[in-house]
Amino acid sequence: MKAQDDALIAVLLGDAKPSQALARWLATPSGRRELAAYRQTLATLQQRYGEVRASAAGGVVYYCSLPSPIGRVLVAASDTGLVRVSFRLTEAAFAADLREQLGAEPVRSASHTADIVHQLRAYFAGERRAFDVRLDLRHVSPFQRRVLMAAASVPAGQVVSYGEIARRIGQPRGSRAVGQALGHNPIPIVIPCHRVIAAGGRIGGYGGGLPTKRKLLRLEGALAATG
Amino acid sequence: MGSSRPLADLVERHRPELLRYLVRLLGNEHDAQDACQDALLRAHRAFARLAPESNARAWLYRIATNSARNHARRRGRRQGRTVDVDVDGLPAAGGRSAEQDEQLRAVTQAVQTLPPRQRAALMLRQFQGLAYGEIALSLGGSEAGARANVYQALKKLRAALGDSR
Repeated sequence: MKAQDDALIAVLLGDAKPSQALARWLATPSGRRELAAYRQTLATLQQRYGEVRASAAGGVVYYCSLPSPIGRVLVAASDTGLVRVSFRLTEAAFAADLREQLGAEPVRSASHTADIVHQLRAYFAGERRAFDVRLDLRHVSPFQRRVLMAAASVPAGQVVSYGEIARRIGQPRGSRAVGQALGHNPIPIVIPCHRVIAAGGRIGGYGGGLPTKRKLLRLEGALAATG
Repeated sequence: MGSSRPLADLVERHRPELLRYLVRLLGNEHDAQDACQDALLRAHRAFARLAPESNARAWLYRIATNSARNHARRRGRRQGRTVDVDVDGLPAAGGRSAEQDEQLRAVTQAVQTLPPRQRAALMLRQFQGLAYGEIALSLGGSEAGARANVYQALKKLRAALGDSR
């Protein structure tokens, strides 16, 4: 069933929306079987080739941690710029992620991360509202980069909706994709995805947990202290 | 060499992803490092001829793909030969069932016996994040051809999994 295979692959890869004919086929036993088989193929492919070892590929990446009102924050910077911020991982898991995802050798270094640590301390102390730091977004897809840069242009104290970000990057129907791209923000806080909220003033989601999102917005004065 | 700085920037920016691409194509880091070295040398020689408005990333992938092909040829490991698949060397070997191991082995084997162009198109689409237009720039041919190569590859991988489920 060559045409059906092609249509099914197109849907699974996100190249096309399912047609009615495909939907009908997928409701049949053979359609269901093929759907499961192709999903299994893609999952196995991902498992085998998704993360490959290339130890020296990404050079060295320097990381450090600092205490903050939202818990311990970990930051990592390459020679290009700030590449990761995390407040959910342990230090060991953070270092493992750097090795795995960036193919870089993680090295703990206060001196290489001093600038961003200083800026983050000032931010959490309420003494700084914007960051001045070079970012390393080489590992981010072009679409996600556009979304992140649009989020980065929202100043502290303000919030915008996912739909507004979608409009700003010229994809007005893409608010779900925008939400996903922000959910995988590798540099939260500095790229303020917490300033993007759901329509109608609802707070929406946050990779770092909703209490953290509220805390950050309160710190910036975008949410009433009791909110 | 006043023009070498932009190339250095370009290489620094894309070297990690090119290396991972070459690991995916060649199956191990050692060969990938060699091929990457070779690709960057070629890029250095050809950089002066790169038109300023061209897609530099696709250009680097084209060079890397050619290096991988030469590398595989030199080592006499042409596609279609039997290949050793060391599933135990893969990440997270602990938590897999025998059936998953079998599927991993089948898919890996099938990937290594794909025609080079299909394998390259598949990796570029699924793991390197290139659009079909960029894949066409990297591998030659049309955008539709690039997409057909990816789909053909997936159909072969799916067939390799069989119906034993």
